[in-house]
Amino acid sequence: MAPLMVGAFYNPHLGAELAAATGIDHLAMADPPAPQDPHWPAIKERYTLLLHDYLGQLSEPLDERAIQRARSLAALYDTPWVAEHFQCLHTEDGTYNLNYVFPPLYTEEFLARFVANANALQARLDQPLVMENIPGFFDVQASQMPEPVWLRRFFEATGTGFLLDLPHVWLEAHYRAMAPESWLAEFPLEHVVELHVAGVEEDGDLRGPWIAPTAPSDEMLAFMAHAVAKCPRAKAVTFDAFSPSLTADVLVGSVERIRSAL
Amino acid sequence: MSDRAVQDDVIRALADAPYRASAAWRCRALADPERVERFARFLARHFYYERIVHFFKYSRALARVTGRRPEAVLRQPGFDALLPAVVLGSRASARAVCRLVVDHVRASDPAVPYQDDLLRYEEAMMVVEAGPRVWPETVTGTSPEVVAGTALLELDYDLPQVLGRLLQSWTSPPEAPRQRTTVLVARSRHGRVAVARADGVVASVVQLADGTRTMDDLARAAGLRPGELEATLQGLTEIGAVRFSTGS
Repeated sequence: MAPLMVGAFYNPHLGAELAAATGIDHLAMADPPAPQDPHWPAIKERYTLLLHDYLGQLSEPLDERAIQRARSLAALYDTPWVAEHFQCLHTEDGTYNLNYVFPPLYTEEFLARFVANANALQARLDQPLVMENIPGFFDVQASQMPEPVWLRRFFEATGTGFLLDLPHVWLEAHYRAMAPESWLAEFPLEHVVELHVAGVEEDGDLRGPWIAPTAPSDEMLAFMAHAVAKCPRAKAVTFDAFSPSLTADVLVGSVERIRSAL
Repeated sequence: MSDRAVQDDVIRALADAPYRASAAWRCRALADPERVERFARFLARHFYYERIVHFFKYSRALARVTGRRPEAVLRQPGFDALLPAVVLGSRASARAVCRLVVDHVRASDPAVPYQDDLLRYEEAMMVVEAGPRVWPETVTGTSPEVVAGTALLELDYDLPQVLGRLLQSWTSPPEAPRQRTTVLVARSRHGRVAVARADGVVASVVQLADGTRTMDDLARAAGLRPGELEATLQGLTEIGAVRFSTGS
């Protein structure tokens, strides 16, 4: 297995620190660079950049405008792959929008929709498409199969890569009162191209842990090491934190700790 | 009912608190109601955090001298009291959340003289961004109509001159010229909020374009030549302030 790239998200408010940092192989881009971002030229020159923007939800076909935007960003970043999420966060007519990642129902109908629309998007991209798992805080009775089964069938039908978000798996295991390693073993790890690692914190509304822009715990890093050993095609691990409250110390320190734990 | 329609129902329940409390939703028994409620509250706080941080960014920059961070309202009882009525993305909910922010940030002895203007400007931006995303494509119509939510703001200070400097580094807050200024705040159908200075021509067209007047009627009422009106409407259409109604 080739050495894994270890990186983080580009947080523009930390542009100066990231432009000068060492020990970071890549940066994922959640938003396009601001036109007046003084650090962008140095960032673009220095790092491998991964396109990880919101392109659209693949429960519906992406329109031409969204496809052209994806192609344009992929070219700007010279990204090795393009990432999207298994999400369905707004109603089909656009009336309601959660503005936060939310998983689809795990049904045959949604599987067919995501397969068709991911294939259509992949055909218009010059880079491989990878898809990220999204955590559910509650089960919806209408789902017809477990999430890992649905994901396996999706990857087998499309040939796309898997962006495995480990805190998402950890959270689902927590709320199902399962061991994270046992829940992880259900997922199609042979398709994993990239892994996300992050910290979790208690949330007052959820009355339990959720993803937060904080350093990963030792437990999460051990879970990452366990997972990486089971992902033979993995190429990168990314510290998944993108927030105005994130500090340079946490970002750089987390990347160092991830590298040490691998 | 298709699976897509079921998913829409779940999304609506998470976004729309009155619907979530209704018998129509509860009798469907699609998910654990307590888990749904907890997640919906989490989503609401996240939804308005993103908007407050974005639209009240100038007041946020001034928090160094005011000591009032706009997003602090999300952890106060006033926001919790709104939650049973909140509909994510609705203009009424945006307005209610903005009221909390403005009441929290506004000081009796403000650090900058233009604070009231600034808060009205930020509130207008956030309220304009809310509301339905989709309206019918009626560009073939002939009657210009101001898009719902578009706002004309009369300000006592020339805020556009100071906004950019507020986000740069400063030791004392930058000053804004005291000068009557009108700005137009509008949103495109793709959700992009735009602000433009408005002169008398723009202001009169915005006030008169109600979807019932034809172009000729509007030109006469606004005292404009047809070419002037067309140029004005083109700019207003581009920023999402005006659309063309079929008059039906």
